[in-house]
Amino acid sequence: MPHDAQGGVPAGFRTPPSPPAFDPWRYRWAVATALATLVLVFIGGLVTSTGSGLAVPDWPLSYGMLMPPMVGGVFYEHGHRMAAATVGVLTLVFAVWTSLREARQGVRRLAWAALAAVVVQGLLGGLTVLYLLPTPVSVAHACLAQTFFCAVVALAYATSREWLAAPGAREDRAGVRPVAAAATACVYGQLVLGAVMRHTGAGLAIPDFPLAFGTLVPPLTTLPVAVHFAHRAWAVAVLAAVIVLARRGRRSGERGLARLGLLVLVLVLVQVALGAAAVLTGKAVTPTTLHVAGGAAVLGGCWLATLRSFRLLRPQAPQEAPASLVEARARP
Amino acid sequence: MSIRKPSVLFALGLVTILGACGGESQQPAGPGATQAAAPAAPAATSGTASVSGRILFEGTVPPAEKVKTSADPKCQAMNPNGLEKQTIKVKEGGLAEVVVYVKNVSGAYPAPATAVTLDQSGCTYQPHVVAMQAGQTLTIKNSDDTLHNIHPRPTVNAEFNIGQPRKGMETSKAFFDKAEVMIPVGCDVHPWMRSYIAVFTHPFFVVTGEGGSFEIKGLPAGEYEIEAVHEKLKAVSGKVTVKDGEAGKLDLTYKS
Repeated sequence: MPHDAQGGVPAGFRTPPSPPAFDPWRYRWAVATALATLVLVFIGGLVTSTGSGLAVPDWPLSYGMLMPPMVGGVFYEHGHRMAAATVGVLTLVFAVWTSLREARQGVRRLAWAALAAVVVQGLLGGLTVLYLLPTPVSVAHACLAQTFFCAVVALAYATSREWLAAPGAREDRAGVRPVAAAATACVYGQLVLGAVMRHTGAGLAIPDFPLAFGTLVPPLTTLPVAVHFAHRAWAVAVLAAVIVLARRGRRSGERGLARLGLLVLVLVLVQVALGAAAVLTGKAVTPTTLHVAGGAAVLGGCWLATLRSFRLLRPQAPQEAPASLVEARARP
Repeated sequence: MSIRKPSVLFALGLVTILGACGGESQQPAGPGATQAAAPAAPAATSGTASVSGRILFEGTVPPAEKVKTSADPKCQAMNPNGLEKQTIKVKEGGLAEVVVYVKNVSGAYPAPATAVTLDQSGCTYQPHVVAMQAGQTLTIKNSDDTLHNIHPRPTVNAEFNIGQPRKGMETSKAFFDKAEVMIPVGCDVHPWMRSYIAVFTHPFFVVTGEGGSFEIKGLPAGEYEIEAVHEKLKAVSGKVTVKDGEAGKLDLTYKS
């Protein structure tokens, strides 16, 4: 049976028989949107870290104005709204551009889905202000931000020269594809836990580090302690996943995957240090906000590794069973 | 030049983010510049007895904390010498800004028609502690040439957050309809601003002024438990019995 070079790639994203020409400006636009989204996540983190989430009590205007005085908490909250509007415009332009120029239906659909996500994200941001930061809305706002970031990273990669070139022929003998996908899922779960911890005020529920109340496992008698501890415990799973990803990436034979795996591992180690600093400094603004943005960066890195591994490596071919085993199976 | 390697772009993005972190990073300031406390507006009472005394403080008064107001140049201009946060205000052994009230009161007491005012002036709240009856109108004023949001965080009453972007704005409403002691009030624009509101279903309460003295008038004869609540210190209480026309005496002491 001939090998399917694009195995695992959804139909709408497959490179057509005559591959579309690389459009450098649309690719750069997508990359700029992804970077702007990362900056937006950082600014969103600043809003929460500085306690400025309700510094502007109205929405969509700010104190009835388009541009209020940028003082105190307004600087962070209205600055976040301005950055979000910028990302919204970048996404809108990209969606229209892609509709006009993109041959792959899946990419066109993803671009419009990203635009829908950024609109919903804006509505969630407005709702959380108008309803005084209800936890489910704030958590949904935080999680959708990460999901949108993943969509934009996917769009950037789908329009890159690497994706548009012929799919990689190298077999995934190291098993990068499953571990990259698993690491991405692990990190996303960790970000959900982090958002719940942050928006329920559980960030300092366990005041010490690396131990928790002087022990390895604290008494999980209250929800804030349980949520905080779950975030710490799951960090161990994330670290294990990215260690495996880095090792397999190195063994994959693809330099891009090896470097990306290493970068993600370094990022996770920095994240652990930032998480510790956030606790030990009593949630000082700088380490706490960097921890939020760092989480998004780790997720983006793992997601990119997943996309790359599925593009550059073909699935491992099933091993042919030894002849003796085939013979044994054939016997009645 | 085209950028081809997604991982290089990713690293570039991280550098951008980390670079951005080196810029302005404002720590949230501590709460509240202190202001003189003001007694609640008197309400209709029926008795002729009263209880008076002092709220005393024994111990070391912590030093005042400096508050940075640089987040808003207008606040800085209004406070050229800076602001100081001192939550424990002691004069001649008496503690100011303590809500003193009668705990065991029965009967229905309609809310007074007069409003209680909370002013935002000099990027501080005046008074720092407000006591009022449930259903009484609270007038919130902005006397500053800068914007404020008023954001009480009650646990029993309904939370709200309103903006007053211009000097001279006023909002009047019976915001609180249930008893609650004490509701923190803050401005998310200026995190150092902090005030407290105590809400009662009766009129037998007062906020101590300088020196810690208090007097609760209009009580019917009876035995009363008097409680003193401070924004930072644990509540203290004592009992006093008064007859019609009598003035009972009770001093309560905070020990640090």
